[in-house]
Order: sequence, then C-alpha cells, then structure tokens
Amino acid sequence: MDSFGLLEFNQHIKSILEKNLEKSYWIVAEIGEMNVNQKGHCYMELVEKKDNYIVAKNRATIWSYTFANLDNWFAGVTGTHLKAGMKVLVNAAVQYHEVYGFSLNIKDIDANFTIGERERKKQETINQLEAEGIIDMNKSIALPLVPQNIAVISSETAAGFGDFMHQLENNPYGYKVHAQLFHSIMQGDNAVESIVQSLHKIYEQEETFDLVILIRGGGAKTDLDCFDDYNLCSHLAQFPLPVVTGIGHERDNTIADLVANTRMKTPTAVAEFIIGGFIDFDSKIDGLSEQILSRSREVLQTNGEYLSNMVHQLKLLSQRHLYENASKLNRLEEALKLYPFQFIKNQRNHLNFLEKSMAAADPQKILERGFTMTKVNGQPISKTNKPKAGDKVETTHKSGKFESIVK
Amino acid sequence: MAKKKEPTYQQALNEIEEIVNQLENESVDVDDLTKLTKRASELVNYCRKKLKSTEEELKANIE
Repeated sequence: MDSFGLLEFNQHIKSILEKNLEKSYWIVAEIGEMNVNQKGHCYMELVEKKDNYIVAKNRATIWSYTFANLDNWFAGVTGTHLKAGMKVLVNAAVQYHEVYGFSLNIKDIDANFTIGERERKKQETINQLEAEGIIDMNKSIALPLVPQNIAVISSETAAGFGDFMHQLENNPYGYKVHAQLFHSIMQGDNAVESIVQSLHKIYEQEETFDLVILIRGGGAKTDLDCFDDYNLCSHLAQFPLPVVTGIGHERDNTIADLVANTRMKTPTAVAEFIIGGFIDFDSKIDGLSEQILSRSREVLQTNGEYLSNMVHQLKLLSQRHLYENASKLNRLEEALKLYPFQFIKNQRNHLNFLEKSMAAADPQKILERGFTMTKVNGQPISKTNKPKAGDKVETTHKSGKFESIVK
Repeated sequence: MAKKKEPTYQQALNEIEEIVNQLENESVDVDDLTKLTKRASELVNYCRKKLKSTEEELKANIE
C-alpha cells in the first residue's frame, strides 16, 4: 500500500486545488468573528447559518494593505465598517498552506450587496413591527403642549448632546426646560442594550417626564445599525411617552426614526422643535388674553351704555311721576275750589225748595183757595172715624169755622 | 297738622281725595265745610312742597 508523508500529502492537496480551482470566487457569507492584529492584518471566520446553526465555516484573511483600503472604502459607501454579524459578498482566492491549512484570502468586497442585504433586513424588521401592530404606537401618543420635563437618551460626551443642551438652555425667550440625561452608549455592539436599559430606567419614573429624546451627534461615518435593531425599535415603538429622535444624519431614515413619535434630523433641530412648541403655546396664550381683554372691554362698554340708559330712564320716569302727581294735586285743588261753593249753592237751593214745599202745604193757603176742612168729634174723618147720626161736625173755612149736627 | 306725626305723601294724598270725594258727594256737614276745605288746602301745599323737594333731591342725585 502506497503512503504519503504528511507534507507530501498536503502538497498533493495543494496542487490539486491549484489545478482545479479558479483564481477567485464571489462568495456570500456572514462574518462570524473578526480580528485585526497589530500589523493590520484582518482575520475572519466566515460562516453560513441555517436556523441559527452554523452549517459551513471557513477561515479568511485580508492582508493589511488591502484591508486598510477596503475597510475605509466600504465604510464610506455603507456607513459601516466591516464587523462581525454582517452579511457580505466577498471575492476570495482559495489558499491552502501545508502548515496552516485551508483559508480564503479576501481581495474585494461588494459593498452594494451589504447595503441591499441591510435594506432587506431593515425591511424585514419593519414588516415584523407592522405585523405586530406596534409600528405606529408611539406616533399615536399626543405630543405634550409644553414639555417641561424631558428624558434625554444620549452619550454625555457626544457633541450632539452638548448642542442640544446649549440650544435648550440658551433659548432667547428664557423658557425653562428640565432635561435629565440618561447616559447611554450610542453606537456599536452594546448600544442596543444600553439604550434599552435607559428606556427601562425612564419607564420606572414615567410620571416625571413628558417626553423622551433620543439624540446622537458626531462623525459622518458612524455606525447607525443599532437604530435599525428590532429589539430597540420594538421598545421605542411601545414606549408610553412620546419619543423624538435626532440621530444626526441626513442620509436615510433609521427604523428608530420611523417608529418615533416625531423625527428630527439633528439634536439642534430637536431643541428647536421643543422651543418652537413653547413659542406656539405662548402666542396662543397671548392671543387668548387679548381676547379676554377685548371681550371684557365690550362687556364693560355694553353695561356702561345700559347703565346710562337706565339713568336716563330713571330721570324721565321720576320726572313724569312728579309731573303726574303735581297735575293730580292741581286737579284736586280745582275741585277744592269748586265743590264747597257748589255745595253751599245746592244747600241753598234745597232750602228754597223746602220753603216752597212748605208754603204749598200750608192749610191756611188751601182754605184761602176755597177749600174747607172737616173734623168729626174733633178728629179728621178716616175709616175708623166716620160721621154717624147725631155726631157733631166742625167745618173750618177761609174766614172761620162753624159746627153742624149729622142727621 | 304739625302737631301730629307728618303724614307720608300717599297718606296726605289719600286724605285730600277723601275730602274731595265727600265734597263732591256733598256728604258732609256744612259746619265742617270750612274746616275740611282748609285742611285739604293745607295738605295740597304740603304735597306740593314734598314734590318740589323730591325733584330737587333727584336732580342733585342723578345729574
């Protein structure tokens, strides 16, 4: 049986590989691990996963000269440096070394693939948030009219945080805003966990705050991947206080921007937004007080006019009343002048009448007209005093009387 | 009139009207005629004075 020495065998493998393989291949893989040593060489482990299990794995290297250029260019295009967990399309040559074994030497990377891949992943996250029905939850919370207590998630060393605080504290209107920083790591692998922790801390004192601000500032080529993270965005979307983002980049929207109640481009813009709300409210109050003033003036004027009118009426009516009373007195006085004399006159007439009546009734006058008066037994004749035979009758006439006997 | 407590305007007016009524209806004794007429005239003057002073007071208050 023929046998090889190990070296001879490895050399055999190497020659077969060299004869049969192309100079290089485009390979899709995920960066499993990645280290850059002191000399600037990059050592990676490329993997392919299926249901989170590694189903293929290769060592790969990018030599320092290539790596320096490639990584900078890649970050320039994608906004992110190469790092573990990233899906990449690499152009690599197969290398087989008798001592170090099999590895891939990466010569080029297709940045567009990574961008596309990231977009795809981002879209997946968005779809998931939508499917869970939480993507618009934070947006549906009404923004406070005048947010005076603000929880700020940022890094205390970030330029953006400084800008924000400066803008807020030095607003020319003198509005007082209380902002409390919840220091968080704002980039890199630990950012998601750190920001979520800050959210938990804010949640514990939810009643203290009106608003949550998520701001970050600084370098253009910084890593924004954490703001597309499902876990972070799910927390942001479901947070009970409205979240305003100012992540500080113009290029594209992160999912954090998408789920936030309000998205501003920069921390400075967030501060302006808050102060702007104050100004709006302030001028609204001014407008209302103006209205109150003019309305009160109206009321005062209307009432003043009413009062003047009443005074006028009062004058008129009281004068009329006096006048009516005066004329009533006049009428009574007239009556007083008239009635007593009329009374006397009437009395006089009455007396005259009585006198006449008495004169008419005088029996002597009747006798003078030729009438006589007859008495029986000294009494006038009546039903009970009729003259009977033998009675003495006395007849009075004009010039005397005589007696006779009834037969 | 001065001996009694001063009547109110309305009381005075009522009394004048009562006297005028009596005179009009001639339901008084002739003996009382002078007395009543005098009384009524005094009351008319009293009421006039009241009206006058009230008018002056009103003017002073309202103007």
